[in-house]
Amino acid sequence: MKVRTWRRRLVPYLLIAPAIVYLAMFFAYPMYQGLVLAIYDDDAVLPVRSEPTLDASEVSKIPQGTALRILDRRSQAMIEDGEAALLTEQWFRVSGSAAVGTSVNGWVPEARIRVRESDAAGNPLTGTVRPKLGQSADPLTDVHAEPDESSSVVGRLEQRVSVSIAEVAVLEVWFLVQPAEDPDEIAGWAPSRYLQVFEDGERGRVHRGTAGEFTSAFIERMIDDRFFEPALRNTLLIMAMLIPLQLVLALAMALVIHARIRFSSGFLYVFALPIGMSDLAAGILFFSIFTGNGLLNSILDGLGLIDGPFAFLTAETTGWILFAIVLAELWRATSIVMVILVAGLQAIPDETLEAAELFGASYWQRVRHIMLPLLKPSIQVALILRTILALQVFAVVIALSGGDVVTVLAHESFRQYFELRNDNVASAYALFILLLSITSAVFYLRSVRSESEVRPT
Amino acid sequence: MAEIRIERVTKSFGDKAAVRDTSLTIADREFLVLLGPSGCGKTTLLRAIAGLGMADSGRITIGGRDVTYLPPGRRQISMVFQSYAIFPHMTVRDNIGFGLRMNKVDKSEISRRVNSAAELLHIEDLLDRRPSAMSGGQRQRVAVARALAMEAKVLLMDEPLSNLDALLRLEMRAELKRLLADVDATTVYVTHDQIEALSMGDRVAVMRDGEIQQCDVPHKVYEAPSNRFVGGFIGNPPMNFLDGMIRRNTDDVVVTVAHHEFSPAAQIAPLIRALNGDRITLGIRAENMETLTAPGPDTVPVSVEVVEPLGAQNLLTVEVGGHRLKVSTHPSLPVAAKDELHIRFPADQIRWIDPANDMVLYT
Amino acid sequence: MNSTASPTAASPTAASPGLASGAAANVNTAADTALVLPPLDSPEVAEMHQRMRRRAGRGRRLTYVVAALIAAWILVPIYFVFSMAFTTQETVRSYPKNFLPFIPFSTDTMRFFLESEGVLRGLWNSIVVALITLVLSTLISIPAGYAIARYLFRGRDLFRLSVLAVRAFPIVVLSIPLAVLFLRAGVFDSLYSLALMHTALALPTSILVVSSVFASVPYELEEAGQVFGATPFQSFRHIVVPLVIPGIAASGLFSFVLSWNEVFAAAVLTLDNRTLPALVLASLANSPDAFQFAGSFFLMIPSIVFMFFIRRYLFNMWGQVTK
Repeated sequence: MKVRTWRRRLVPYLLIAPAIVYLAMFFAYPMYQGLVLAIYDDDAVLPVRSEPTLDASEVSKIPQGTALRILDRRSQAMIEDGEAALLTEQWFRVSGSAAVGTSVNGWVPEARIRVRESDAAGNPLTGTVRPKLGQSADPLTDVHAEPDESSSVVGRLEQRVSVSIAEVAVLEVWFLVQPAEDPDEIAGWAPSRYLQVFEDGERGRVHRGTAGEFTSAFIERMIDDRFFEPALRNTLLIMAMLIPLQLVLALAMALVIHARIRFSSGFLYVFALPIGMSDLAAGILFFSIFTGNGLLNSILDGLGLIDGPFAFLTAETTGWILFAIVLAELWRATSIVMVILVAGLQAIPDETLEAAELFGASYWQRVRHIMLPLLKPSIQVALILRTILALQVFAVVIALSGGDVVTVLAHESFRQYFELRNDNVASAYALFILLLSITSAVFYLRSVRSESEVRPT
Repeated sequence: MAEIRIERVTKSFGDKAAVRDTSLTIADREFLVLLGPSGCGKTTLLRAIAGLGMADSGRITIGGRDVTYLPPGRRQISMVFQSYAIFPHMTVRDNIGFGLRMNKVDKSEISRRVNSAAELLHIEDLLDRRPSAMSGGQRQRVAVARALAMEAKVLLMDEPLSNLDALLRLEMRAELKRLLADVDATTVYVTHDQIEALSMGDRVAVMRDGEIQQCDVPHKVYEAPSNRFVGGFIGNPPMNFLDGMIRRNTDDVVVTVAHHEFSPAAQIAPLIRALNGDRITLGIRAENMETLTAPGPDTVPVSVEVVEPLGAQNLLTVEVGGHRLKVSTHPSLPVAAKDELHIRFPADQIRWIDPANDMVLYT
Repeated sequence: MNSTASPTAASPTAASPGLASGAAANVNTAADTALVLPPLDSPEVAEMHQRMRRRAGRGRRLTYVVAALIAAWILVPIYFVFSMAFTTQETVRSYPKNFLPFIPFSTDTMRFFLESEGVLRGLWNSIVVALITLVLSTLISIPAGYAIARYLFRGRDLFRLSVLAVRAFPIVVLSIPLAVLFLRAGVFDSLYSLALMHTALALPTSILVVSSVFASVPYELEEAGQVFGATPFQSFRHIVVPLVIPGIAASGLFSFVLSWNEVFAAAVLTLDNRTLPALVLASLANSPDAFQFAGSFFLMIPSIVFMFFIRRYLFNMWGQVTK
């Protein structure tokens, strides 16, 4: 019996589990990922080490892009694979006859051997020792015990001696580096694949880091972006114009529906039509009206108000573009506010409104003194929702202005991602939009609450 | 001076007529109760008087002024709603003063009237509270205070007590009656509760299917119902009805019910004789029959089926000639199920009903 | 009693009712007030009633005017673009335009649009994504909605509030980090991953609608079924399901429409497998007006058709918000 109730209690959690998992995967995780992209740079710094191996301790971290002085180089066996190495060296394990007639077996750098024969897979099988150029050069070639110049020399080979190649080792070159502008900084070793080495072999820069770091760089790049300020300004401007208009129109729609006139359900259908429509469709609708040979010009021309088509949607007429954007959004997004307000009106009992009417309130007095105060929670919800959804509008901007003349935040996010391929700055924009959303929600909740607290009771 | 005159008012919803060609005059300062089962049109009629649902045809005048199609706010009336319709976002003070503010009464007058209305209903302490945290009884008082503060000549009440629990209803009923006695308004009070109607109204108008069946002072409605419906609707238990056959002798009229002969009272007999056909219905209230343990003159033997002791009385269900009757007896009369009893029907308590139109015969 | 009333004597008092009550105030008898009223069936009463009714109906007529104006505001742009979508391309380019569009009626523009490269595929992609979204969001929202409607469990309010909050947020901008994730996982530019995102967008609304639909079926019905010997599942299947089917269908249609119209995520998450809105968006800059108008016809048509079936349920989404 106990087990049964326990199981029964589990049922609702099992039922909501898929939804929770889904929303966590497609809401919480992307949100986290967006945050990481915006403020965390995966390749920010390069740790340099005390010895040219990955096991050695880090002596310091040099930020990505820092100019370097290169003090020394050494080759090291590669440990990780998969990472494309910039500078590698190959060493061959060779055996051949030494000058004294004894056989020598050991490691020689690839540069000292000319490969003569390879197997089908391209692995070298035999070769000859290259002659050394230059008069001062020792004509003999050292053979090492390990594929490392610092290991002991097990023998020496003459020039042009034939050798058989038993093994190949790929080594990575490590550099002992120091920030060029800070000679006091301790020098450390770093593998070549994270460095860019200039031709002289003495200078270079950190190509990318291996350790992440929180950074404000992407956010700074967003703020410094030349489109950021106009995008923010336009977004706020559109909201400031749109939201009051929208509230008034939605209230008118809601009052019409609530009046229960004949064909009310037909009117509801028409009023609700734009709910399912995208800002792209609304943008094209209003493009068709405002474009040069569009409806508005045709009507104005027909009425004799203008002589030829007026170009509303050009870089010189950004005011008209903004106006068209506001109208398109007013057309598209007012319906959802209406639905919220009608639901709110339906929650007001008929008798309450009848009482007001009976006690002498005119229609407008009923709207002002009864409906609006009782709609306050609905209006609050509508304001929050509208403000937040207004922030994600972007296609209407592209439809009406091509996206360059007038831009908004969501469009900049899209542009950073799509045109500039900059995931981090795009994410910074996305997060900025989320931040604005939360701020405005808190603002609305606060302002509405404090208003009711201030009122004398 | 606010006589309400309703003349031939009809109001339909779709095909269904909720109020049918109804006329009624309510005298100035009268307390009239509209009583009837749900769906009888009493609320529709009240709303037509209020202007919340305009009549389709006919005329309604208040104090000689034709208000048939006047908006409710201009009828100079006041109302208590069934759900109280207290404005939830206003304090009690603002609620009571709402109508006065809408009518641009000046501030000092508003506060005077709000305070006196609140005093009348003993809610002075609640004036600055919001209604959301109040009990049903308190809201009720606010609603009544709001209606009284208007000092309107006409006060309409739509089942104002129906949302209260039984005990509170009893208390509020008496209090309302006391309050309204001091108010100079013509009051129309809608209820489906006959006890409320009988105890409060100067007159009671019983409605059914959109028509007023009877409109009279409470004891007349109870004792002398105009028709079978009123008799059956008012009273608990309702009036008993027995089918009888008329036998017209040369010098008198006798009605046979279940093999027993009844001689109607002398003044009613000619009316019975004049009826078409032989059928007639007798109506008699449970408390108007005399119950005897032994047969006497004019008694009818009955067998007791159920005894329901109700404290002040015992309610018996008895069987006589295929009819079931409700009879109330004094608790001192020892009786049990399956007993035989003898019942006498006092001639002056019998109501004679013409089955052709269900009307009670009166001289 | 009206017999003594003379129409001529009565008319001035009937016109100024305030005077009548004032004058009669001291003469407290019904007979006297009856004197000032014309008989009910007199023509002047009928005329006055008609006048008063007309005045009372004035607000109602104003409401119709406002309703018609708002309806025109919604419908005229749609009508204009639809007429552009079904005419010749010359008409689309012409200026000034006819005020009675659809003249000449032609499928020229529409044919041009449908024959443009990628359009048919975009349409097909949109249908696939919207259908997957419909199915997924319905499958996930039914149990969740049922749990909210039927069970009182710890965390229920938290869950509902989170769903509300998620819906209120511009989650579509999260497509960008999601795109990065999809790229890393190698499922970028796939219709399935777009449908997954669209399901996330549709899910909060679906859950709320479905739960309010379940809540509208009294639990007593289910219990009654169980009392008469049905298992919980049977009573769900035979009693609840038939009652909730229309509401769930409406929620599914809403998900479909939402996915069909979604632009941002579609543009971010797809490249070659574009859905119709993403395709239209990408070709805005370099396509003729005719292409855009015909495209917007296809963008709007599902919501125009489906809104008819959904409209009754619109308030289910919002009725519970403010509580």
